[in-house]
Amino acid sequence: MHLSLQGVIPIPLREKVTANKSGMWNTTLSLTKGEYVFVQAPSGTGKTTLIHILYGLRTDYEGNVKWSDSALKATGKEELAMLRANNISVIFQDMRLFPELTAWENIDIKRRLTNTVSEQQAHEWLERLGLKEKANSIGSTLSYGEQQRVAIIRALVQPFDWLLMDEPFSHLDHANIDKARALIGEVVHLHGAGMLLADLDKNDFFPYTKTIYL
Amino acid sequence: MSDKATNSMLRTLLMRTQHSSRLWVALAALCVGTTLLLLSVMIWWNFSELLYGKNQNDSLGSTFLIIGKRVTQQNMGTPGATVFLLSEIDSLKSAPQVQDVGIITSNHFPVYAMMGGQLQLATDLPLESVQDKFIDKLPDDWKWQPGSRDLPIIVSSLFLNTYNYVFAPSQGLPQLSEASVKSIALNLKVGEGDKAEIFSAHVVGFSDRIGSVLAPQSFIDYGNKVHGKPGQASAPSQLILKAKDPSDIKFSDYLQRHDYETNTQNLRWSKIRAIVEVVASATGVLALLLMGISTLVFILFIELTIARAQHSLTLLLQLGYGPGYLSRYMIGRFLPMVLGTVAASAIITVAGQAILSIAAKSQHLELPSIPGWPVWAALFVSTAILVSLVTRSISSAIKKH
Repeated sequence: MHLSLQGVIPIPLREKVTANKSGMWNTTLSLTKGEYVFVQAPSGTGKTTLIHILYGLRTDYEGNVKWSDSALKATGKEELAMLRANNISVIFQDMRLFPELTAWENIDIKRRLTNTVSEQQAHEWLERLGLKEKANSIGSTLSYGEQQRVAIIRALVQPFDWLLMDEPFSHLDHANIDKARALIGEVVHLHGAGMLLADLDKNDFFPYTKTIYL
Repeated sequence: MSDKATNSMLRTLLMRTQHSSRLWVALAALCVGTTLLLLSVMIWWNFSELLYGKNQNDSLGSTFLIIGKRVTQQNMGTPGATVFLLSEIDSLKSAPQVQDVGIITSNHFPVYAMMGGQLQLATDLPLESVQDKFIDKLPDDWKWQPGSRDLPIIVSSLFLNTYNYVFAPSQGLPQLSEASVKSIALNLKVGEGDKAEIFSAHVVGFSDRIGSVLAPQSFIDYGNKVHGKPGQASAPSQLILKAKDPSDIKFSDYLQRHDYETNTQNLRWSKIRAIVEVVASATGVLALLLMGISTLVFILFIELTIARAQHSLTLLLQLGYGPGYLSRYMIGRFLPMVLGTVAASAIITVAGQAILSIAAKSQHLELPSIPGWPVWAALFVSTAILVSLVTRSISSAIKKH
């Protein structure tokens, strides 16, 4: 599954985007599955907007975004749900956990959609990221760092061709970043998937094949 | 995907209002509305059954009337002035509200009834006959053939009442139940002189409709032929009418115009029917109103539930749960509530019909013990409308996200 963008301009950012040169906005871009893309985006350049557009959460943009041959804007809600369950996974900057579910349930509710990762495997990953003791804690009681790690595991318990990440390690210390990126790297490699990571500063979390300045 | 754990998580996320007292109020209102609707259809249907049904309930009588020509100062001395001509009978057949006309044939031969034993009764007895279809409660052994000495007769309930409540107490005679009257044999002497025949008559039934003593048509025909006085008019002086709605002003106008007389008490039932129809219609309208309001409350409740779960719903859709799947889940939660409510209404209605049937039996009326098809049709239609409204409101509320 490849991703292509043609002249995409988010309407709220139109003035800013047309005034500055961007590697992503208002240009033609094609990314193939397996690529590791880093999008470096200073504050206010539309990093989160980009992730939301690619994930189909926003449609307030000009131009075209296509996953393989289907234009995202023309994709129906059921189709979009299929795409999110089977082809594109995401780690949101704001985590987006269910505050009323436990850490484990937050992962399990995603896992049960496709049942491609076993319960045991998911528990192992929880343990690897140091969340074993927090498995039964309610989402609203978790710290930001814990929430971020839960969000990371949740993104990995589904089949995907592309993993979209929006500042995935912003609340983690170095030790936890190392554990998390190792896990992400393994799972992405296992699926032969591509990744697109958007962050403020240059980093070497993954062996990127392409860097784009937003 | 729809296993227990997923359902339990979805319940936590989406059904936060499930135990709200408002839900029970909405469901109770829905139940009352549906029950009232079914009961109003049931009342209407039962009354139709009583009046037009195949059961032997026609002693409600308003649909059957006996008419005769009014006896006045002018015609009281004229023989044959109060008999119906064929042309008049034909004209009656096409009169407003009239569905059928039956001729009441009376005896033109002498009949003398004698009863032995304690009662020691002996009297001249007028007999009449009418086509079987006009008899309200047709007894099984209602037949007579020439040569037979046994004669079944039907007596007006009024006679028994007059005897039991007026005659017997005043004469110090025992009162009689219907069953005991049926066991008494009367000797009927028919005809005069050497040709006279003796028949053993026994009461086989009582009629609320005919105010005299009925014998089978074949017997009256035989008597009139064999023992009838020559030259006696054979035209009927009384007719029985089956009228659809005798309370119709056109019908009573017709009777008045032709100077026909009937027992106005017979119109009583038609008035009651009119009242029942008004009550059933009013209940029906009220029920529809109540059902409409309670459905609205229930749907608002569903929308409130979905609105409260907005955040979870949005996130579930973002995670890859399809709107169709989530709609089906919500429908699967709310539909059993609706169906349970409707089922409770149906059970109440079935119980109501069973009670009504028992109550009717004590009034000598026959009603089915389970509700008829109009009640089931009303149940089916109202359920279908409810299910479609609930399904559509859930689907459209989820699609908005």
